[in-house]
Amino acid sequence: MKRRDWRVIAWRLAILVLFIGAWQWLTGIKAVSKTPGLYWIDPFFISRPSLILERFLYLTSDKVRLNIWQMALSTVQSTIWGFLVGISTGFVAGLVLGRNDRVARIFEPYIIAFNSLPRIALVPLITMIFGFGLLAKIVLAWSIVFFIVFFNTFQGARSVDADFIHSARFLGASERQIMSTVIVPSALAWTFASLTPSISFALIGVVVGEFIGGESGGGLGYLIIQSLGTLNAADMMVALLVLGVIGIVMALGIKQVEARLLRWRPEYQKR
Amino acid sequence: MTSGRLRISIRDLSKTFTEGAREVPAVAGVSFDIHDQEFVAIVGPSGCGKSTILNMIGALVAPSGGRILVDGRQVTSDPPPGVGYVFQKETVFPWRTVERNIALGLEYRGLAASERAARVREAIKLAGLEGFEEAFPATLSGGMRQRVALMRSLIVEPEILLMDEPFGALDTHTKLDLHGELLTLWEAKHQTVVFVTHDLSEAITLADRVIVMTRRPGRIKLIYDVKLPRPRDVIRIRESEEYLREYGQIWHALGEEFRGSA
Repeated sequence: MKRRDWRVIAWRLAILVLFIGAWQWLTGIKAVSKTPGLYWIDPFFISRPSLILERFLYLTSDKVRLNIWQMALSTVQSTIWGFLVGISTGFVAGLVLGRNDRVARIFEPYIIAFNSLPRIALVPLITMIFGFGLLAKIVLAWSIVFFIVFFNTFQGARSVDADFIHSARFLGASERQIMSTVIVPSALAWTFASLTPSISFALIGVVVGEFIGGESGGGLGYLIIQSLGTLNAADMMVALLVLGVIGIVMALGIKQVEARLLRWRPEYQKR
Repeated sequence: MTSGRLRISIRDLSKTFTEGAREVPAVAGVSFDIHDQEFVAIVGPSGCGKSTILNMIGALVAPSGGRILVDGRQVTSDPPPGVGYVFQKETVFPWRTVERNIALGLEYRGLAASERAARVREAIKLAGLEGFEEAFPATLSGGMRQRVALMRSLIVEPEILLMDEPFGALDTHTKLDLHGELLTLWEAKHQTVVFVTHDLSEAITLADRVIVMTRRPGRIKLIYDVKLPRPRDVIRIRESEEYLREYGQIWHALGEEFRGSA
C-alpha cells in the first residue's frame, strides 16, 4: 500500500475516534448538576457508545431468546433471496418485453402503474397474504428489485447495436443463436449495472417488512421496532450498526461479482 | 477482367429514403456486374449512396426499385448465402475475447470444439494476433480490432465479401498495414470483394475495378479498370508511375463530383 493510502486510513480512524469520543463525552454532561436525567444532549434519544456496547454484548449473549446474530442472519437470508429471485425474474421479463414491441406496449401501463405505487404501502397486504414469516419479507424485497432489474434489462435489450445482430446473421447465426450470443450478453451489461442498487433496495424492503412482520419473521427490523416500543435507543443503535455492516459487506461483494462478470469492459481492465 | 462467372448482377437499382414527409433519393438507376474473384471498389463523395448499395446487396436495406441477383438468385430479406460483411463500425463483440470472436461463425455452424480451436489458431496466426487470444477487444488498438473483425468474417470462408469502409477509422500507417494483409489474404483465396471507400488511393491499391459514383442521388459516373500488376506491394505501388497515372485519371472524374458538392 502506498504512503498516501495510509494517510487516508489514519484520517478516517481519527474522525471515527473523535466522533465516538465526542458522543460519549457530550452525552455525559449534565445540564443542571446533581439533578438526574437532565443532560445537554440526552442519551435517552441518541444513546451513548458505552451503553451501545453494553447492549451489544447483552444481545449477543445467550441471555436473550433471539440473539443479534440470529436476527442478522434472518435479515441477510431474506435479502439475498429477494435479491436473487428479483434479478432473475426481472431479467427474464426485461428481455422478453425488450425484444417484443407488442407485448411491451400491452404491458406498459400496468408496469408503470405498479412501479409508481409506493412499495411500503403494500407491506400490510403482503403480510396478510404471505404471513408474518420469511416469505413476506422476500416478496417485498422482490417487488422492489424486480422493477429495478426489469427496467435496466429492458433498456439493455432495446439498445442492442443493430450491426452486432447483422454481423451475427452474416456469420450464419440462427435467431436463437442471436439471442444467446448477442442480445443476452449486451443486455446483461445493463442488468449488472443495476445489481448494486438492487442489493441496497432489497435490504430496505426486508427491513420494512420486518417492521411489521413481528417476531416470527425475526430480523433486525423487528429489533428496531421492538426497541421503539420500549423506548430503547441503545438497542436501535445496535441494530443500525449491524445493518450498516451488512449493507457494506453486501455492496462490496456485489462490486466483486460485477468486476468479474464485466471484466471485458474498459473500466474493469487492469492495464 | 470480366472473364469469370457472374456473381453479382445489379440492374436499375434505386433507393429513396423517407425522412418524415421528405423523400431523399440516395441511389438512382445503378447497374453493374461483378464477376467471380473480382475485387471491385466503389468510391464517391460522402452521401453518394455507396454504402447503401452495399447494404442492399447484403439485404440490410430493401431497394426501392431495380433488381439485385447474387449467384443468379434475387436478394430477399436474408443475407445471401456465402456472403461475408465487414462493417465500418466496430462490430467485434466487446464481451468476447479475440479468439472467441473469431470462433463465432464456426460456433454458429456447430463445429466440434477441437476443429474450431485449430481453425481459430490458424486465423490468429494469419492475422498476427498471437499472444492476444485471451485479450478483450477493449485492450486492443483499432487496427487490431478491425483485424479480428476481418478474420471473423473470413474464417467461415465466404466466397463474396462485402466491405463497408472497413479501414475508415484507422490512421494512415495502420491502414497501409491492413491493405497489405488484406491483399495477402485475398491472393490466397480470391474471394469476390466489393469494397466501399471514399479514399481513392485505397481503392486503386486494392481493386481490379473502381466504380466512381456521382453526388447524391448516386449514379455511376465511371467504371475504371485498374491496370496494375498483382501481387501488389501496397507501399511501393504508390511510387509507381502507373499508379499515379491511374490515380490522375480517376481523380479527374471524382474531382468533378467533389467540386459540385462543395
